[in-house]
Amino acid sequence: MDPFEAEVEATIARWHGIVAPNDPARRMAADLISTIRAFEALRGTLVFEDEPASFEAALHDTKE
Amino acid sequence: MVGLADLSLVEAADAVRNGEATSMELLDACWANLDAANPELNATIWLDREGAEQAARAADRAVKEQAWLGPLHGVPLAHKDMYYQAGRLCTCGSALRKDWRPGVTATVIEKLHAAGAYAFGGLNMAEFAQNPTGHNRAFGDCHNPWNPPYITGGSSSGSGASVAARFNYAALGSDTGGSIRLPAAACGVTGIKPTQTRVSRFGVMPLSFSADNVGPLARTARDCARIMTLIAGHDPRDPTSSHEPVPDYEATLDGDVRGLRIGVPSTWFLDEVDAPVLDALEHALAVLVARGATVHRIALPMMDAVTTYGSIISRVEAATIHAQWMRERAGEYGIHISGRMYGGYAIPAAYYVEALARRGPVLRAFANEVFAKVDVLATPTIRTCLPTLADTDIDHGPPGTETKFMAVSANTRPFNYLGLPAVSVNCGFDPSGLPIGLQIAARPFAEARVLKVADAYQRDTEFHMRRPPVLDAADAPGVIVA
Repeated sequence: MDPFEAEVEATIARWHGIVAPNDPARRMAADLISTIRAFEALRGTLVFEDEPASFEAALHDTKE
Repeated sequence: MVGLADLSLVEAADAVRNGEATSMELLDACWANLDAANPELNATIWLDREGAEQAARAADRAVKEQAWLGPLHGVPLAHKDMYYQAGRLCTCGSALRKDWRPGVTATVIEKLHAAGAYAFGGLNMAEFAQNPTGHNRAFGDCHNPWNPPYITGGSSSGSGASVAARFNYAALGSDTGGSIRLPAAACGVTGIKPTQTRVSRFGVMPLSFSADNVGPLARTARDCARIMTLIAGHDPRDPTSSHEPVPDYEATLDGDVRGLRIGVPSTWFLDEVDAPVLDALEHALAVLVARGATVHRIALPMMDAVTTYGSIISRVEAATIHAQWMRERAGEYGIHISGRMYGGYAIPAAYYVEALARRGPVLRAFANEVFAKVDVLATPTIRTCLPTLADTDIDHGPPGTETKFMAVSANTRPFNYLGLPAVSVNCGFDPSGLPIGLQIAARPFAEARVLKVADAYQRDTEFHMRRPPVLDAADAPGVIVA
């Protein structure tokens, strides 16, 4: 097994008590490497004051 | 000449109000098409024929007594089987809830019933609303009324198929990544995902707290407008629902799109688009230009952030609420359902919080730049001609099937992260005879605008009026209305 896949499976088992239910689960979990790369590309965009509740305010502030 | 089951929701409601049809006649017309088409489509999970007939008789008695309940008086409906109705079956499309009966009724169901509609069944759906195709291991896959080996789109598969096959005047769906717009596009009907927070989610099966939306699928934009006027607005039982005033959406449909600036994205939404889909989009734009709109080709900002962050939120939230079943009963899910959720447990909390924290700033940056230039965005709802159920069957297909499966929702997911309203209307057919969807999105709370554009388009086109071939053998009874 690829080391990254093994690491993902071990992490999920340890933190959540959940084992891979099937092969597609393993394949899709292995694809998390693309998620990591996408987040790497966005590093530096998060601002210290950003917080989740700002979304509702943004909905209202950007309406017609 | 049009049979009763061919009427739109608004026409059916008006027929009852004007004494041109009874509720029982509408219901009988629905049953006739259902009995003819549904064995091939598998669009329902359960039916309550006796309860529906009692409701129809009660509606007809009320008509005689001039005791009108509201603008949907006497109209039979059925909804995605994830809307709670106290004491009635609600499977959420899963073997895990195959016998479950909730103790409460969803606010949106209460509102529709207060307006005079009644529900005759629960519609097929992706298990726990978690696929864009219509596959369902527990209750069987839902099939496309235009060509049954092909996908219906999901997750509101039965909602799209039942409306297209004309045994349902309208259906509620839910949309977390495209689950209203995809079946609307694939089945050739109209569907709207409202602005995030626009419609109450009380009594609706959760998938993703941050991205779930309730909305209708129906034959026309006018039908959707009527339902939206009824269901939108703040609900004390859903504290996340917006206090924003609700307009009469139907009253705003005047066909006037003069001066409307339509943005066609040059980024993301046309990547690897199939030629028939692009042709249909361009023809649709020409229809709106003929009505006085203008078209502007624009690059969209922030799309890397939108797509990266958007993929995280629903995945983590779905994984979180299903954790106990994933520990104890994972084998009872469809393979692609448990398979997709599994990776969600490995996504770091810091990624999830970053995706949520960036949502407001990303929306501001996107909206301020894009909607300074254009009033609406127009894109294909699905970039490709529809795939078959077999081509997108992760449970039985080879490795790599996931890529085709996920490609179906590439153009709908961004508007869930951004929280924007978006409608899908039929804008043509591909070489396999399958519908093509036009997606129109706009600023937050601009449901009236996207519905107005959709309605204007439907005034000059007839794609949304076509009957699917699955009805060719059906001989629906009922009063004939000229």
